[in-house]
Amino acid sequence: MRLGHVIGNVTLNIAEPALRGGRLLLVQPFGKPQFGGAAPTPLAKGATVVVYDELSAGLGEIIGFTEGAEATMPFTQPTPVDAYNAAIIDGIIYQPPAAAPAGRGSGQR
Amino acid sequence: MQLARIDGVVITTVCHPSLVGYRSVICQPIDGAGDDQGPPVIAIDPHGAALHSRVFYTTDGSSLRALLGDPHSPLRNMVCAIVDPAATR
Repeated sequence: MRLGHVIGNVTLNIAEPALRGGRLLLVQPFGKPQFGGAAPTPLAKGATVVVYDELSAGLGEIIGFTEGAEATMPFTQPTPVDAYNAAIIDGIIYQPPAAAPAGRGSGQR
Repeated sequence: MQLARIDGVVITTVCHPSLVGYRSVICQPIDGAGDDQGPPVIAIDPHGAALHSRVFYTTDGSSLRALLGDPHSPLRNMVCAIVDPAATR
């Protein structure tokens, strides 16, 4: 599960019937600085994700979303969804070790 | 499974039912030398791993759904082993 800031929502015009009535959020995923409390990366820089939402997260909230095949599991009928909002995050207690060795690459997990 | 270090916890009340009852911990993937590898990932932790302890978390959703007994769980990461601090290479 990855965290992200909700920066907007998406309204569909013509869509798959399975997506009708769904609520889609525009989410900016967290990098390491955001865990420490930094603001979300601006839209142009980050890889913004559209997340299917059933918990009605609001604008500016932090959510935990899952991606890939697991995102389609909560649905009873097959739904073409790539990211699903699994949790609205109330608090983050982030305490990396002080001398955390800087990683070589920061590739996406 | 991925080797990681516990860097914190995440608190959530409004969430998918399959998260309820488990700690959500911030796992920082690390390599053998302990260097950070990429951004942190959130995993559920039924074993109560301590802060900064090294753990293994699984990234296989199907076995996690079987373990949780919930075929509709959207989760993929769970802490399934805590590395013995005395274990040295």
